[in-house]
Formats: sequence, structure tokens, C-alpha cells
Amino acid sequence: MLKHPMLEYIKEEGSSGMRLPHILCPGCGAGQVLNYTLHAVDDLIKEEGVKKENFVFISGVGCSSRLTSHYLDFDSGWTIHGRSLAIATGALLANPELKIIVFTGDGDAAAIGGNHFIHAFRRNINVTVLCVNNGLYGMTGGQVAPTTLPFVNTPTTPYGNIEDAFDLCKLAEVAGASYISRWITAQPMQIIKAVKKGIANKGASFIEVLSQCPVHEHETPVDSMNALKEITVPVKKAESSDKIPVGELHFAPRPSWTERYESVIEKANQRLS
Amino acid sequence: MDETVLGEKKYRGEFIKPGRHYLEGSEACVEGALLAGMKVYAGYPITPASEIMEHASRRLPQFGGRFIQMEDEISAACTLIGASWAGAKAMTATSSPGFSLMQEAISFSIMTETPLVIVDVQRPGPGQGYITTSQEDVMQARYGHHGEGPIIALAPSSVQDMFELTIEAFNLSEKWRTPVLIMAEETVAHMREQLIVPELDTIEIIGRKKPQGLGITPENYLPYGHELVPPMANFGEGYNINHVSLAHHADGNVGNYSLKAHRENIERLHQKIEGSVNEIARVESQFLGDCDHVLICYGSVARTGLEAVKEVRELHGIKMGFIRLVTLWPFPEEILRNLISTVKTVFVPEMNLGMMKHPIAEALRDKCDQVISIPEIGALHNPEKLVDKVLEVSTC
Repeated sequence: MLKHPMLEYIKEEGSSGMRLPHILCPGCGAGQVLNYTLHAVDDLIKEEGVKKENFVFISGVGCSSRLTSHYLDFDSGWTIHGRSLAIATGALLANPELKIIVFTGDGDAAAIGGNHFIHAFRRNINVTVLCVNNGLYGMTGGQVAPTTLPFVNTPTTPYGNIEDAFDLCKLAEVAGASYISRWITAQPMQIIKAVKKGIANKGASFIEVLSQCPVHEHETPVDSMNALKEITVPVKKAESSDKIPVGELHFAPRPSWTERYESVIEKANQRLS
Repeated sequence: MDETVLGEKKYRGEFIKPGRHYLEGSEACVEGALLAGMKVYAGYPITPASEIMEHASRRLPQFGGRFIQMEDEISAACTLIGASWAGAKAMTATSSPGFSLMQEAISFSIMTETPLVIVDVQRPGPGQGYITTSQEDVMQARYGHHGEGPIIALAPSSVQDMFELTIEAFNLSEKWRTPVLIMAEETVAHMREQLIVPELDTIEIIGRKKPQGLGITPENYLPYGHELVPPMANFGEGYNINHVSLAHHADGNVGNYSLKAHRENIERLHQKIEGSVNEIARVESQFLGDCDHVLICYGSVARTGLEAVKEVRELHGIKMGFIRLVTLWPFPEEILRNLISTVKTVFVPEMNLGMMKHPIAEALRDKCDQVISIPEIGALHNPEKLVDKVLEVSTC
């Protein structure tokens, strides 16, 4: 039987039986993001000789965080809601050589994890964050998120959302992330390229992927994905449009936290000589 | 960059020298942690625990370790989790309000069996309470985190303990693959007194059990299996370890859920710590032969407690025994029961309204006539207060 090429990086079964299928709903965008990310990692391992054992995947809690879960054939941590960037920070302090990819969602990153989101970017820790933004809390039933557009009805905004949405890329930029891009799930090649650029950037890279949630949007996956195309515009044409810009939005490399900490270690030791 | 420092990774930091020192408890804690092999410290400032992080920020980079001041106590505790997974021994210190914020990470670390050390320099609560001394978090240490998660918690009573129990905390966390709490108090953290450091090669340092050392290949590796304390692979070693805190099978699979597998998961975690209580827990005792009463205490109250016991024995002829709980959790019930035959009164002085009194009373339910709490809030007891209470009860 023909197998999906990325199954090379998935543990299909273990001593306690099958690890698949994953829990994602049919038509969910999170699986696409995993597929594109693994393609990027596959290229880096096979074409650029990056050691597979140096990759680490960290996630928090939510649908997108289940991409890490228990079936990746990499070192990984499926961690606490909102805390993935703090845990990634710790791993980098212990071993700055690790190439850490964080899967997060809009609620995980920008609501419960908002504080860690801005501070990880301020520190420019060497991490690549893939935020699967579906504008709602999928795992718990489609409730309003900090990224939900105004006036939308959800299970916890039955009279319409009165709050404005975060622009996560702008938030990441003012916080200090050194590489930022935004895409929709219908852009596989662009996302693969962006993930490779994010991993190559020795600092905090933030990649937002606007994603469909056909279940809670009560749409077919195709209609749901087409809606993403409707509300977005390539960044080059964004100035004359009120749509959401997609593409590379920011690239300003600067030393990461662990690179800068080398000077701390150096000074601490110089004073002892 | 000086190549002799960083090029060859030779750092100039030196451990505290063997011999006599005059140190603050906070410094002794960090010096002990460095000897134990601490490589990462993450913290958030809070009175009265900040001295520990300040000392760590100065000392850790001398050894090539990394110190970070995080955005809150939640992230500080989470940083330890990532550091531990990547192979570093890691520690934080906080005080009671910050300890509340760390409960989430503690619960997660118990389930993922992540070794790390958290020092709680207790201050009074609830709320901001005050910034003086306290033992009001001893129940939070055991029951503050959600779920059925056993914990190891130690109670230092001196600067010497701040040094030795910090080393012991790292050893216990690595040996049992679990978070370990040091339930310090403002009293012991800010106390300055003599510290005697033994010859360094006599200090036992324990590292985690690794699959490589047991001949387990990545293909056969079970992150939550093999033994009561599963061997732990670090990130970057090719073992493709998946850390998960959902109820899991030995191979880390959270699928194929069954009540049986769930219960086995929790029962092993429980058995690992509570089932090993007599190996993990320690108590100290004096004057227990033919005593009529016994005073049981922990932390800095043990100092006042011992003085009071000596006074009532010498000046008032009361046969009073003394027990100090070095380990609060897992609670050393069997050890206590074996130490005491029967006594009239058990006195339990604590800097709270009577917290450890409860497991003590439960353990000695048929071995004493009464258990009397001697509470104090926000300050250490005067020895007179303890003596007066003992005289009042034992002479009536």
C-alpha cells in the first residue's frame, strides 16, 4: 500500500498498540501544518545534514498542540496549556544546540500563554513557533478566542463577540520576534519554505497559519478554506486593501538569548581570573 | 572570547571549599545546588526568596550554567521542566504566593516524572500575608497541585541543612525521577551561622538512570516503563522521547485508553514515592527512651523545640522526647510509629495553625492520649511559649 511519505517521522504503533489515528477532525488545518512542517524538517535532515536528534517539538494544549502528542518520532513534549514557550526556553538553556519547533494555537499562544508569548520573543530565544490560528477554541467546543473577529457568535458569545481580535504577527513584532510570516493552510510550498527560514533564523521565528475549523464553522472544509482565501491578500498588495496580509512580514535577525548569555558566562569567568 | 574559558568549555568557577564557613542560608542553598550539579536556574523575584536567585545569577555562569529571570513564577517552574528534559539539573526558589503559581508545573512534573527542585521560602498568608516567616505551605506542598500526585518535600532547620538538603533534594529528584520541594522558611533562608563543608569527594551526587546505561535501544525504549522508576532519555540523544501528561501507557501512548492502564499509571506513580517512604523519608530523634511526652516538629521550629525539650527535662524533670521531621512528604508514618511505643501527650509546635498535626495525629492515633498543637503565626515561637504549654498540660 502506498504510504504517506511523512509517516517516516510518525510512530504508527508501539508496545501498547496503535498510536494512530490522530484525534484531528476531518478537514482540520492542523494536520496540514504538521505535514508541511515535517516536509521542511525532512529537507533539512536529508539535504542539509541537520541531525534528526537535534529537533525537538514542544506544544501546549489545544487541537494544534495535539500535533506533538505521542506519535512524533522525534524528541517532544506535549506540555501545559500556554506554557510551551517557557518550557522551550528551559530546554534551550540546557542545550542551545537543540532546534525547537513549537506548535501552538491562538488560544494557547495569545490568551493563556500571552505573557510567555511576548517574553519569549523579547528574549529572541532560538525557537520556531507555528501558530495554527482558527480563531476559536476548537478542542473545548468552539468558544470565542482572542483572535475571534468582532460580532461573531460562538458558544460563549451567544449575542455576538464584543471584543476586537489580536493581530498576532504585529504582537510578535513589537515583542521582538526576529522572523515573522503569515500564511493560510492552502499555501503548502510557502509554509515549507517559511519553516525552513524560521529554523535557519537563530532567534525567535513566528509563523502564523490561518486555519479552517470546518466543524465549528459549520462549513465544508473546502468552503472553509476558500473563506480564508477571501479574507486574505498577499503582503505586496496589502496597502491598497483592508484584507489580512499574508507572506513574509518581518525579518530582522539579532542575537538570541543564549548567544548573548555567552557574554555573561565570559564576564563571570573573567572576574575569577 | 577567551578560548580557555569557552573554547574548551573550561570554566573557572570553584565549588565552596571544605571547612568552616559563615554563610546565609540562601547562599548555602545555592552552593549546595552547584555541588549537586545544578546547570539551570530560572526564577522570579519575591521576598524573602530573592537572595537565592541573586546568588545563583552570580555563581551559575562561573560554571558555564545558565541563569534566567522569567516573567512570572509559572514560567520559572516551566523553564525547569524543559531544562530537565534537555538533561540539566535545574532549580528555582520562590516564596508562598509564587509557590501557588507553580502548582500547575508541579502537577505536570509529577505526571511526566520530571526531576527538578523547587525551594519555597515560606512567608505567611493567605494573600500577600506578610514577608516574615511561616510554615503555612506544608499542606500546599502535598495537596496544592491537582490530582493524585505524591511529592517529596524536605524541611531544613539550619544553614547546614540549606546546604545538605539542597544536595539531597537534587539526589532524590534524580533517583526517583520526580519534583522535590525544599520547604524552607524566611528564618532559615536569612539566617547566618556556621556551615561546615565536608571533603567534596565524600558528598554523594546522584544522576538520573539512563536507558543507555541499561542497554535499552531507542527502538525498545519505554519512557514510562521498564522499572518502577523509568530510565529517562534526554533530548538530543536520539531516543525520540515523547513527554506526555495525559494518562498513558508505558510507551507514552495516550491512545487505547482503558481504566486499567490509567490506574496502573497512577498506581505506579504512587507506589514509586509513597511505597518507598521508608527509603526516602528521614526523621531525627532524641530522648525517646522511657519518655512520657514527645514534641514533634520540623524546620526552624526544631531549634526552639529542642531547646524547650532540654529545658523541661533539666529544669522540670519532665520526661520529654524530641522528634524532628526532616522529610515532611511522603509522610514517615511507619518510621514515627516504630520510634514511639506509647506516650501521654504529643506536642506539635508549628508556624501555622496546626497543619502537620493532622498526619501526626493520624499516625499516632493509638499511641498517645492526646495531640496538642502549639500554633504560631508570622514568627518563630519563643522557647518559653513551648515550655509553658508543656508545663500547663503535663502538670494538670
